[in-house]
Amino acid sequence: MKTILKTLAAALAVVAVPAAAQTVNAGKYQVIIGDCEGCHGKDLAGGVELQTPFGKLVSSNITPDKDTGIGNYSAEDFKQAMTKGVAPGGKRLYPAMPYPYYAHLDDRSLTDMWNYLKTVKPVKKSINVNQLRFPYNLRIGMLGWNAMFFHPKPIVQDPAKSAAWNRGAYLVNGPAHCGACHAPKNMFGADKSTALTGTSLQGWFASDLTGDRHAGLGAWSVADIVEYLGTGRSNRSMASGPMAEVVEYSTSQMSNADLTAIAVYLKDLPPSRGNGGAATGVDVQMKAGAVAYDISCAACHGRDGKGSAIFPPLAGNANITQVRADTIVRMVLAGGKAVATPTAPTGPGMPSLGWRLNNDQVANILTYVRNNWGNQAPAVSPETVGRIRGSLRSGS
Amino acid sequence: MQHPSRALSRRSLLASAAAMAVLAGSADGKSLSGTVPWSPFAGEPPRPVNPLGWYFFNPGEAATIEAIVDRFIPGDHLSPGGKACGCAVYIDRQLAGAFGQASRLYMKGPFMPGLPTQGFQGDLTPAGRYRLGLRALADYTNTTYKKDFRALTAEQQDEVLAGLDGGKITLKLKPGFSSKEFFELMLQNTMEGFFADPLYGGNKNMASWKMIGFPGARYDYRDHIDKHNQPYPNGPVSIYGQV
Repeated sequence: MKTILKTLAAALAVVAVPAAAQTVNAGKYQVIIGDCEGCHGKDLAGGVELQTPFGKLVSSNITPDKDTGIGNYSAEDFKQAMTKGVAPGGKRLYPAMPYPYYAHLDDRSLTDMWNYLKTVKPVKKSINVNQLRFPYNLRIGMLGWNAMFFHPKPIVQDPAKSAAWNRGAYLVNGPAHCGACHAPKNMFGADKSTALTGTSLQGWFASDLTGDRHAGLGAWSVADIVEYLGTGRSNRSMASGPMAEVVEYSTSQMSNADLTAIAVYLKDLPPSRGNGGAATGVDVQMKAGAVAYDISCAACHGRDGKGSAIFPPLAGNANITQVRADTIVRMVLAGGKAVATPTAPTGPGMPSLGWRLNNDQVANILTYVRNNWGNQAPAVSPETVGRIRGSLRSGS
Repeated sequence: MQHPSRALSRRSLLASAAAMAVLAGSADGKSLSGTVPWSPFAGEPPRPVNPLGWYFFNPGEAATIEAIVDRFIPGDHLSPGGKACGCAVYIDRQLAGAFGQASRLYMKGPFMPGLPTQGFQGDLTPAGRYRLGLRALADYTNTTYKKDFRALTAEQQDEVLAGLDGGKITLKLKPGFSSKEFFELMLQNTMEGFFADPLYGGNKNMASWKMIGFPGARYDYRDHIDKHNQPYPNGPVSIYGQV
């Protein structure tokens, strides 16, 4: 009996993690959920440029360096910055730092996060954060912005829904800040609503995540979403561009339970107003598109649009049928690169076809792809392709 | 009883296995991760030539070359002629570029006669050979027929070309550059222009590919792999996706 107890005690000693290490580990997971690396860099020392409609912002150094980082913050300073958007000394943060979302973090998570950030290797790196145009470069303006748009309402738990749904609602609308990209913005850069109906940003279209069959994730299963977030790919699509970074730094490191929670919640979102429906009166475009698709796209994506393990399908791929075609036009013109994760390490690339296809051809192909194999979405015009080609060339 | 040497060999086998284990343990096993680098708009696509005007030939030379490529590839029921297919444009752009300057070749002396398999060994670049050759050809036809080559009848033009090829006509060229070599250079470049991708200026509308049933820059035949003894139904595609 004694021996058994001894063995048990020994086993417990091995399993038990000191409380300090526990909070640090929990904090690290909070940093993953919050995708801090996505903006502040892998070493969290900042310097990542963010193009906004108001000019350039550069992410700050959040390592515990005393001169250039947040080494002089107190736990309370950190909480104020995270949940109120106010740094020590009353400096107003710009909402590119998604404090409207982090405001939903509970005290425990914030404490864990802070405890973890204190253990990160300090990096001495001075950042000129504010490179916005006048008058946006005046931080005082954020007072007004906050007064108008920053009214964090607590995320209400819905007892009628499952625990997973409630956890998903918290993650999506809170720390994982999906709406920062996927919610439409008003002219002040604030979320118009919390509805994740998709929006254009940084030359990409952050997809509609609602239940609409074509514009959103209506055709995706919970398993499709979990696989997509966890590995960067599913039988529906592949993550590239800004979402590739989210997958790399955040979702691919989340627990399966949390990914499932996000998927369960997203699958329950009411459908958006859709993408405007199938293109009509485009017989000529469709015919020309079919020929051009056959020549330039079919070898990888297949004549049936089903793709393969390393080539994303185009049939039933929500990125193809978004209301706006920014992402797919860009993909054809400049090429693309899928994220590589430990479970899906290939990270296949798509070559640039902008040298080979003119605006009409790209428009034809995309109109065809958006309205074939069960896909339905408005036509893409050569003018749209031309506009995007111009903006990609000028690097914005 | 066990043979001593055998026991020994068994022991040494075990010893070496142990040594192997140690070695394997200390060997650096590495797993590489990460992806291949990628950047937007990557690739160095060939640039299509401008189809208008002449970059190397003067108007007289251009007219002569157009007449010559039309005799090498006369328009008939199989395909349009060499001129209509842009072979002269192809040659002009090649001579105006790196090929014309022989920029890929060592072009300093000494210049020694080579074997037939070694190609041209003289000091003239392809551009220089065309310039000299076309002037000598103009001299020859004006002396013999009192006309430029392009003004000769098709039969006379064939006569002249056959004469260059067969050694019956000797143009005033340079030592180390024979009339036959000039003929072969033009024939070779005309064929290149006729069969190369249209982006280089010749093979207009992929006429030659349609003639021989070459599908061009298509790259996916999976739908046809099992269709044995059936002709491939699709027409050619150019590098720039023209059909």
